[in-house]
Amino acid sequence: MAFEPNPDRPRIDARDKVLGKALFAADREVPGLLHAMTVPAAIAKGAIEAIDAAAAARVPGVVRVFTWRDFADIRETPATRGGGGEVPGYQPMKRPAIRHRGEPVALVVAETLEAAIEGAEAVRIRYRASDFTGWHDRPGAEREPVQTDRSAGDAPRALAAAARSIDVTYDHPQQHHNPIEMISTTAAFVDGKIVVMEGTQNAAAFKFGLAGMLGQDPAMLEASSPYVGGGFGQKNQLQEQTALVVRAAMLLKRPVKLVMPRSQLFHTATYRPFSRHRMRIGASEAGKLEAVLYDVEQQNSRFDQYASAHGEHVSRMYATPNWRSTNHRVRIDVQSPAQQRAPHEHPSSYATECAYDELAYALGIDPLELRLRNDGAIDPISGKPFTSRRLAECLTRGAKRFGWDRRTHEPRSMRSKDGQLIGLGVAAGAYKASMAPAVARLRVAADGSSYLAVTGQEIGQGMRSAVAAELIDVLAIDPDRLEIAMGETAAAPQHLTAGSWGAASAAPAARAAALQLRERLVELVGAERANGPAHEVLARARRPFLEVEVSHRGLDQPEAVMDRLNRGLPAPAGPDYERFTAFSWIAHFAEVHVEPTTCRIRVPRVVSVCDCGRVLNHRTAISQVRGGVVWAFGAALREIGEVDPRFGRVLNNDLADYVLPVNADIGDIDVELLDEPDINLNISGAKGVGEVAMVGATAAIVNAVHHATGKRIRHLPIRIEDLL
Amino acid sequence: MRQLTYVRAETIDEAIAAHGRAGAQARYIAGGTTLYDLMKLGIEQPAHLIDIADIQGSERIDTNGDRLFFGAGARMADVAEDRVVRRDYPVLAESLAKAASQQLRNMASVGGNLLQRTRCPYFRNGAGGVYPCNKREPGTGCAAIGGLDRGQAVLGISESCTAVSPGDWPVALTALDAEILLSGPAGPRSVPVADFYLLPGGTPHLEFAIRPGEIVTGIAVPKTDAGRRSTYHKIRDRETYAFALASAAIALSMDGDRVRRAHVALGGVATRPWRARETEALLEGQRLTRERALAAGRAAFAGARPGTHNGFKVELGARTIADAVMIAAERNA
Ligand SMILES: Cc1cc2nc3c(=O)[nH]c(=O)nc-3n(C[C@H](O)[C@H](O)[C@H](O)COP(=O)(O)OP(=O)(O)OC[C@H]3O[C@@H](n4cnc5c(N)ncnc54)[C@H](O)[C@@H]3O)c2cc1C
Ligand code: SF4
Repeated sequence: MAFEPNPDRPRIDARDKVLGKALFAADREVPGLLHAMTVPAAIAKGAIEAIDAAAAARVPGVVRVFTWRDFADIRETPATRGGGGEVPGYQPMKRPAIRHRGEPVALVVAETLEAAIEGAEAVRIRYRASDFTGWHDRPGAEREPVQTDRSAGDAPRALAAAARSIDVTYDHPQQHHNPIEMISTTAAFVDGKIVVMEGTQNAAAFKFGLAGMLGQDPAMLEASSPYVGGGFGQKNQLQEQTALVVRAAMLLKRPVKLVMPRSQLFHTATYRPFSRHRMRIGASEAGKLEAVLYDVEQQNSRFDQYASAHGEHVSRMYATPNWRSTNHRVRIDVQSPAQQRAPHEHPSSYATECAYDELAYALGIDPLELRLRNDGAIDPISGKPFTSRRLAECLTRGAKRFGWDRRTHEPRSMRSKDGQLIGLGVAAGAYKASMAPAVARLRVAADGSSYLAVTGQEIGQGMRSAVAAELIDVLAIDPDRLEIAMGETAAAPQHLTAGSWGAASAAPAARAAALQLRERLVELVGAERANGPAHEVLARARRPFLEVEVSHRGLDQPEAVMDRLNRGLPAPAGPDYERFTAFSWIAHFAEVHVEPTTCRIRVPRVVSVCDCGRVLNHRTAISQVRGGVVWAFGAALREIGEVDPRFGRVLNNDLADYVLPVNADIGDIDVELLDEPDINLNISGAKGVGEVAMVGATAAIVNAVHHATGKRIRHLPIRIEDLL
Repeated sequence: MRQLTYVRAETIDEAIAAHGRAGAQARYIAGGTTLYDLMKLGIEQPAHLIDIADIQGSERIDTNGDRLFFGAGARMADVAEDRVVRRDYPVLAESLAKAASQQLRNMASVGGNLLQRTRCPYFRNGAGGVYPCNKREPGTGCAAIGGLDRGQAVLGISESCTAVSPGDWPVALTALDAEILLSGPAGPRSVPVADFYLLPGGTPHLEFAIRPGEIVTGIAVPKTDAGRRSTYHKIRDRETYAFALASAAIALSMDGDRVRRAHVALGGVATRPWRARETEALLEGQRLTRERALAAGRAAFAGARPGTHNGFKVELGARTIADAVMIAAERNA
């Protein structure tokens, strides 16, 4: 299949967003709405002995104070909070017990937000505190057995036999997503059904997971999440408050809204956990990789199953004949961590790509050259070919754009005119190219309007623009008159949008629907007269509209997967397919300047070149890469959730003290997308871009800091005190 | 909703009278950027607000006499952008321009700025009563000591409290020997800025030498030729919109290439705006070199008492002073 490159097009919902017409969950008006506020637990572990809600109930406007007794019948099903996992998750406020700091212990519902807040502050709780473990290195941390993640060849033996080897350990801190759209839940009643409005990547969880928890028929629940103001994995599932708010609305028979304050989110929402990465690499003198042993430990809660799955992409980055990766979790008394943008790929690329930089220096080889020498067309783990892999091209094109050839190898060897130390660093990344089943319902009318309902969540990444591109490509429809329903369980079955599979799942479904509609036009008017904009063909044929519906599955997915989709369960495929392994690829180059006296680190320039398959919308895709680089900058130099283990609590739980990058921190980010369709993967030729964007970029910055200063800092963020 | 009364005063006397009537639970409010923040955090719980933002003439900036005068109600942004201040006293303009964000500077007053409270996270994280804090609740203890103390002070600390005095503007005022002009039920008075800020000692909840019901009416800065060779150098965790890890307000009077008089004050490292007399003494009479500036900077920290994670502030502070001295010296008088 030959594709014309998509021309530059604005984001399809840009105008609505600028005009404030794109309404986010908590902004929607609901008549008769009540407001809720949670009371967070003041201890990290223990029991509730007594709750005195009398003063709270007396606050004018307070309608009711809910405690665990009201919610004891909420069920912790295998699908608790929508994960569809094998074991039940944990739902706070079902029992008089506290399992982590800050979990909701009471829910105050009132006529106004102010009354709800005042009521929540007036609730008095007597606790019986127990000992708890607030950090992985403290007594009581429970170490799970080490699990082998992936292996090929005999890595320990090859390491022992290798001419050269290194053994380094990198720590990655806890981080919090902090999307701008706060986490909120609104439960309302429409036509006898409960409609839950919540910014989510997973509307399906609200129809099915929530139904299970509340003992309801899923047919009685709908979820509506047409826009999400940043998810990044924090909105992959029901939140701790979701079932509580919906149950409260059911008990009160009135709509209820809760917007969780940001300070509480640090203790109720998911986050990226602390992880420690040991890399042992064996190589020949010429820099051929012979063995990698990669061992990771990751902090976890006591009660959830968030995997430590750090080996998935790093094992396929380079032609490593002998590989072994292991994972193990350390359980402590905190709320559950979970996915955060490039959940394992970002920390694992940070650790491994920094380690390869160390290897390059140990061998005296240029770090770009080391990567090129170990490029390979075959997945070393499965022995299968990649659907597409243009990593070497990303590296060489990026090197040229960046001016890598002006780099001198020795650390501390480059200086700016004003005396700053200059460092140039490189690192590469990959992210699995997954796909999920999707349903697309398309209707094109002779009056020029069209409507598409599709499986998929617009989480700001630009999925509406991506599916629109396919309709424009095949049917030449007018994007200004196109309405797209996404994240609406009432419009089409919904599936978790995560793991960068969104566009590669929805766009092929949209394209398949468009192709089918084109065929129907051919049937209608004959092949010669079926060309041109679809609505014009319809007008000529005097047909008011045509409608098609298609179900589209990921590569190699069996028919039965549609059943999982229809039950709201996650059903992604990849990166390991029957005949292929599939990844998106990226190379990042970073320039850092370090002030010699007070050691402030600046990053004036990053160049990123990405192989993400066919580009559906250049602006949204490039913006994804820029955003990913900003995240990586934040990870390298700014962000850390500071936990005081004496209290088991994140101390810097607001945006004043959780240091995110600001505009003045960010220099030039120059992005190139190769725009080569991956025709082995799907009919749109699309792979994901949102997550791969970030993978490796932190390592490029850290490696550049080493090049500038000669210092290897093996933890994040790198701050002034590390370089003084 | 927690009930409170709110009145707008049009004159200073009206404000003082209203405060007197309202009693101990009253607070003046100017830009509100500190007070509303602390109210939301549950740390301040006033019952009466007396809005002083509209007091006639309170925003006056006068640079004509033998001293600079800034009315307490002058906006941070207006002082930062004042032509004379920028040209003749860059240390003052920069201390304001490098604080907070443009939006906040448009709201916040230079009088309210003097009374902002510490950013110690254990202090601010008050609601819920998880962290003991002597400043918030006297006698409960100090969670920062032995805790996450990266941001805490190394100078002027006590067994009770190590919280940093957060403001930038007060540091610049300290370097230039400003006077704080006050008015209260007992009439007007003035206090040297050096006496306005209290060391924590055993009473960290007492921070300012201001009496109940007193209002800041203005700030007076004696004019000095050192103003032109001055700078406020601020090192922080990101390029903007952050409080100082270490900062230095420097103003120099020169005799040829020798320092005649040095004004040095530090922020981000101490429990109050910190005058570094040791540094001044080592600079005065000397020809400036970076080595000398660094040695003088180090002297400011001779009495430093770092905790677990903030030891770097000693070296960072000394280097910040040294860089600032060199920046100031290069400015044209
Ligand atoms: C996000 C954020 C970042 C910030 N970053 C910085 C920074 O980097 N550097 C920095 O220096 N500051 C920073 N600030 C603090 C800011 O400068 C102060 O909040 C501001 O200057 C206070 O002025 P205001 O007029 O808003 O005071 P208000 O909030 O109105 O008042 C503050 C206090 O002073 C009292 N008060 C006000 N005026 C008078 C008066 N005339 N007489 C007597 N009492 C009075 C009030 O009762 C109150 O207790 C930041 C603030 C925020 C919110
Ligand atoms: S340092 Fe001071 S403000 Fe901070 S917790 Fe201790 S007593 Fe409170």
